[in-house]
Amino acid sequence: MALGEIKADTLTHSTAGSLATNFVVEGSAKSWVRFNGGTSVVNDSFNHSSFVDNGTGNYALHYTNAFGNALYCGQATAKEVADTSAVNNNGTFAMLYSYETGRIQMTTVSPDGNVRDGQTSNLTINGDLA
Amino acid sequence: MTVTPEFQGTHLFDRLCWAKENLEGHQSDYRVVYEDSVDECAKILVPDPNWMACALQGGILPPVQVYWELAKDEAQPDFKKHTRGYLLHNTKPIEAMTEEQAIEYLIMKDCPQSVWRNYDSGNKPKMVICRKEQLPATREWRNAWKISEELATDKIEAA
Repeated sequence: MALGEIKADTLTHSTAGSLATNFVVEGSAKSWVRFNGGTSVVNDSFNHSSFVDNGTGNYALHYTNAFGNALYCGQATAKEVADTSAVNNNGTFAMLYSYETGRIQMTTVSPDGNVRDGQTSNLTINGDLA
Repeated sequence: MTVTPEFQGTHLFDRLCWAKENLEGHQSDYRVVYEDSVDECAKILVPDPNWMACALQGGILPPVQVYWELAKDEAQPDFKKHTRGYLLHNTKPIEAMTEEQAIEYLIMKDCPQSVWRNYDSGNKPKMVICRKEQLPATREWRNAWKISEELATDKIEAA
């Protein structure tokens, strides 16, 4: 590969101490995506191949570089309305399930208990890659 | 024009890092509507813009057969973790695709095989590729959406 490469096991700050580089590698998010479940649009992403709209408030998100196992960790949030103001900020509970190495499913539920589309939906995954 | 480095043998994650830095995302107008259960509504696959940029660029993504091999491994009852992840990184990347070819690749990667292997074998197709404008304008009754019965498989013509 023609890209520059630095190999190091440790990063050392002049005063703040040292950090093993595997902390950086292991601790970095391996996939993230922000999407609008109401309009079915992926706003931006990394290591993500597609988004499947399974129905109201229910989505499957597929990875490009699969994970090494299905025990990775996902964090998801959603907001029912797309505007960015705090007013009209109808927060939405997001739940992840059906973890597979190549995809995960996400459902978004309003405070009233009904499944709703999250206009601003976010998903970040940490874990080991295949 | 951005030239893709020689990536065979480079970890796929590193290739995606390069693509994120060097390629503009491409929002596709194509959507794939499919039904994989008679009890559920139609599902809609939306291509990721950054993935689509990789597909159009070429030299980044592995052949789709690599994903099938990994899926076979994961389907084993004693599966714990992938031991053939190297297939993603060491298999020769595929060349640039057209947007239509990329959609076909994505169908074979992210839709269930039971859908795309015989999508036109029933009374109506289990899968339809369309443009997003052809989908309903609002999400009213979203959980009742189905592929139209009028799309009989014996009336499908090549575009």
